Amino acid sequence: MTLGYVELCARRLVGFALVLLVLSLMTFVLARVVPGDPARMALGPSATPEQVAALQVEMGFDKPLPEQYLLYLGNAVKGDFGKSLVTGRPVTEEIMSFLPATLELVIVTICIIICVAIPLGVITARYRNSWIDSLGRVFSLTGVTMPSFLFAILLQMLAATYFPQWPILGRVDHTLGFQASITGFMTLDALLCLRFDVFFSAVQHLVFPAIALSMSGIGQITRITRSAMIEHQRRDHTLTLRSFGVPQRVITFRYLLKLSSIAPITILGLEFAALIGNAFVVEMVFSWGGFASYGLEAILQKDLNAVMAVVMVAGIFFIVANLVIDIILALLDPRLRFKEAK
Amino acid sequence: MLLDVKDLNLSFRTYGQTRHILKGVNLQIPEGGRVALIGETGSGKSVTSKAILGTLPDTARITSGQILFDSEDILQKKAEAREKMKGTAFSIIMQDPLSSFNPVFRIGQHLEDVLRYADIRLGEVTNHEDRIRRIDEVLQMVQLGDPERVRKAYPAQLSGGMRQRVLIALALLHQPRLLIADEPGTALDVTIQDEILNLINRLVDENGLSLLMITHNLGVVRQTADDVYVMRFGEIVEHGPIGSIFRAPKQAYTQQLVEAIPALYGERVKEQPQVEVLEGEKPVIEVEDVSKIFESRRFLRGKSEFKAVQNVSFDVFRGEVFGLAGESGSGKTTMARMIMGIMEASTGSITIDGHTRGLWNKDKDLRKKIQIIYQNPGTSLNPKRTVRQTLSVPLKALGYDAQKIDARIRELLNYVELPEHYMSAYAHELSGGQKQRVAIARAIAAEPEIIILDEPTSALDVSVQASVIKLLQRLRDELGLTYLFISHDLSLMRNFCSRIAIMRKGQLVEQGTVRDVFENPKHDYTRTLISAIPVMTEEEEQQKPEVSAEVRAQFLV
Amino acid sequence: MSAVSSSSAALQPAAPKVLSARYMAWYRFSRNPAAVIGAFIVTSVILIAVFAPLIAPYAEHVGSVVNFRARHLPPDLEYLAGTDKVGRDILSRTIFGFRISLLLVIGVLGVSVPIGTILGLVSGYAGGMTERVITGLTNIMLALPPLVMALAIGNVLEPNLTNAMISVTLLWWTWHARLVYRVTRTVASEDYIEAARLSGASHMHILFREILPNCVAVISVKTTLDAAYVILFGASLSFLGLGVKPPTPDLGSMVADGRQYLPDMWWGVLTPGFAIFYATLGFNLLGDGLRDMFDVEA
Repeated sequence: MTLGYVELCARRLVGFALVLLVLSLMTFVLARVVPGDPARMALGPSATPEQVAALQVEMGFDKPLPEQYLLYLGNAVKGDFGKSLVTGRPVTEEIMSFLPATLELVIVTICIIICVAIPLGVITARYRNSWIDSLGRVFSLTGVTMPSFLFAILLQMLAATYFPQWPILGRVDHTLGFQASITGFMTLDALLCLRFDVFFSAVQHLVFPAIALSMSGIGQITRITRSAMIEHQRRDHTLTLRSFGVPQRVITFRYLLKLSSIAPITILGLEFAALIGNAFVVEMVFSWGGFASYGLEAILQKDLNAVMAVVMVAGIFFIVANLVIDIILALLDPRLRFKEAK
Repeated sequence: MLLDVKDLNLSFRTYGQTRHILKGVNLQIPEGGRVALIGETGSGKSVTSKAILGTLPDTARITSGQILFDSEDILQKKAEAREKMKGTAFSIIMQDPLSSFNPVFRIGQHLEDVLRYADIRLGEVTNHEDRIRRIDEVLQMVQLGDPERVRKAYPAQLSGGMRQRVLIALALLHQPRLLIADEPGTALDVTIQDEILNLINRLVDENGLSLLMITHNLGVVRQTADDVYVMRFGEIVEHGPIGSIFRAPKQAYTQQLVEAIPALYGERVKEQPQVEVLEGEKPVIEVEDVSKIFESRRFLRGKSEFKAVQNVSFDVFRGEVFGLAGESGSGKTTMARMIMGIMEASTGSITIDGHTRGLWNKDKDLRKKIQIIYQNPGTSLNPKRTVRQTLSVPLKALGYDAQKIDARIRELLNYVELPEHYMSAYAHELSGGQKQRVAIARAIAAEPEIIILDEPTSALDVSVQASVIKLLQRLRDELGLTYLFISHDLSLMRNFCSRIAIMRKGQLVEQGTVRDVFENPKHDYTRTLISAIPVMTEEEEQQKPEVSAEVRAQFLV
Repeated sequence: MSAVSSSSAALQPAAPKVLSARYMAWYRFSRNPAAVIGAFIVTSVILIAVFAPLIAPYAEHVGSVVNFRARHLPPDLEYLAGTDKVGRDILSRTIFGFRISLLLVIGVLGVSVPIGTILGLVSGYAGGMTERVITGLTNIMLALPPLVMALAIGNVLEPNLTNAMISVTLLWWTWHARLVYRVTRTVASEDYIEAARLSGASHMHILFREILPNCVAVISVKTTLDAAYVILFGASLSFLGLGVKPPTPDLGSMVADGRQYLPDMWWGVLTPGFAIFYATLGFNLLGDGLRDMFDVEA
């Protein structure tokens, strides 16, 4: 059984390495088909042709494409994505400074999704076809159909109208003069520095962006949990327990819950890509100043080195999240472990 | 009377239509009595058991009638009081051993929860250790030798037979007074099914329980019941003591059911004549020393091998019905697929009518010669295509033009005794037996010489089974076909095949004419297999080969 | 249907009537108020888009009309949904905005659904190397955040409707390929496929006559649901600044424009925002209804 775990993880890692490789190739191709000259872009219109040529050599653009790719790959493995064409600073450094803000937002969002959606799915399935179910359905449908940016804007409007004191932009109250410099997570750093006023402010700032970002996930996951519950409720194994008088609440909250959380957690992994995409929108509306804002800026400015790095990092994000989810799934579902071990 | 079901009427409301499922069902089980409820698919026998247990789906409604348990109408009881009876007054042995357990919980968890909440309802206070001790006792009682391992296992880690025993244990945790068994062991191999039935019989005897045995297998009924109720379309059509029902059924339907059961020994056996083999005639299928090894390469673990078929040799002559018998995992289906050319043999050779068998797609001549009929009528026809479309595929491949195709399809439908207007029917509009007839028509449309029958009737009700078998026999005579019949149903093979080979774990253990094999089985496995077949009469029971417990144990997994 | 019951009646006197699959599907759909509402909304969205010039009160406001005297007017009888920063009628522009949304849906799904379907069919049926390459590729594509990729591709090319369409299409086929692959794998392992092969059917016949019909229900459910996502996705893209060029009205960019004048001039956001919600809701409800009706998982 332990071998099952090791094998499961090892297989996934190999698969993920492959994904990253292809991803790097795709971003590379994407960056190289761009019309226009990155070197000229970096130097601005006033640069002389000699300066441009010199930078081209420095960036390795004079070499044949396959060699350029290998160079890019080699550097990327070392964590070096070159220099930003706009600011001239190393891209990795810039991303690392923006990443924690987004990570903090995304982690909180996922926690909200799991804590709201799975119980909601269970309850709506349990009280199927009642008003609770209808209400839950409207709620999850709204989550799925309403665009994230609209949610974000509506929340801002709501806050501005009813809670004028509540902050709706940024990560923390700047007048507190605090820099998240340990982990980069505002809440965590505030706690580590025992600055509870900062912590409180950071949490306040987090609430609306996290809600806006979680709505679509909540909608999806609630629906999937509900239908999984209903499906398993119909199965023989539920009938077995019912036949022997095991109370419905035990069947629902012990037996069905564990079995029915497998499907939504699997989907959560796939939803991750969409979540990162929505983070772009939500960060913009709330001026969050995270990785996504940085990425959006890089894309709009055609800062190719930064764009490539942003896509790669988003891919790694997705892969790590799915690795974690695979491990959780293997813990939940013994069948996955046997399959590997047989 | 322990249980007295009086004039029970029940209907289901689905798709806006009310359907009357049970029509005035009367059923009585005396204290300590053993009663069988028999019927085919959709007869309402399982619904009856659910009505007694109180596990009907929400769409069901009992419109009238009483269910008296100890002279008290349980339908009038409050939900709580009814709940209290579950697992204690009556218990059920569930049918499907795999799907009856929640796959992500250990077996022990299921057992303990059932025990614990029944205790709570009875007002008993128990602790974990105490419950484990009681569970282990019951597991020992159902002959599960290592209770701890069973408890700690997940459902998928146990064999089908072990899971079925656990299901029995589940029903016996609280000494119920009435035990309801819903087709126990039906999904399992015949040897294991036999063990399970013996176990249930013994437990019922030893503990003085009453038994309601729900089954479609009349052989099972003889072993486990004294009183029989025959059910059809929600009505009890006949009931009485087992002897009179079996020997002198009054209703035509019961008669038909009884007659449809193939006999293993005695006068009712329909002996199939041996095919005369001319001097020097070559067999139409020659299997020589064939093995099939599946290799799998596993990450971190290296190569592993599985020998599905090992050194099997047999010959089939033109016009024969050759039976290949075996339980699940015996390799009989792999063997058939190699003969079809869907798989290649690892070693050895297969010769069809003088041609060496290659893979089917490389071998256009042979492709036409052999066709197959599958076990499951539900999956052998494409649900999105009409009968006409299905049948025209082989005809087009033979080069028929549109007009001839239509004429030929009519002819084919006549062959398989289906009305012509079925041409435009889709699969879901046909019954299981009708689907199998279409599948047969498709096979003969290709004008084959050999047809492989892969358990073509095992998914059908006995009465339908008999008519399909009759059809197959007629077609063989009219079209001069050769059949390779693959099955685990030995009593059917006794009446349908001319020669038979028995396989076990990839090896051929015995072959010969049907009469020789059944009347004088040589190999211990063959003897065990035959002795496990449920039969209809005491006389047949006597004629079965005797097998000692040790020998039998050797072949049980 | 009647044929079956009449013929089996001779054999089995009291055989219960079997309901036809079509009846059951229709029953499931018509008894599902959400599905009927969805169908109504989708129809209305299509009609509004098609007859936009006839419905819109100020059809000319679709262009670069400037009327500074009428800018930022709240909703009233003259401008039912108010006016924007240059005095154009928001309602008229929203009505025309549906056109762009539907155009995007047709463009994206019209290309990606057939591509995804064919790739899914082939990979599910062919097996071997073909299967590994195609499924590998789809799995990799799934690791890409679609919005980020669409932004990157679209912007690298040139931000306009066609490029937005192309960039979304490049990513969208994967979901269909995955779904059709899954269904094909199941169907291809059924006995009836093997039987067709053994009776001499060609690969083309099997792919398009035997397997494809079994995928139609799943594909249509997925396509309906996807229409909602494409609208949402397109709106998000244009909200972020990648989409049609002004002055052509687009729901996402109208919301982005309106956002600058919040919270006082709320109507600039509300009408186009609600329009997006209305359209995606309709397709979602309809898709859910179809899913229940066909009883498939998509």
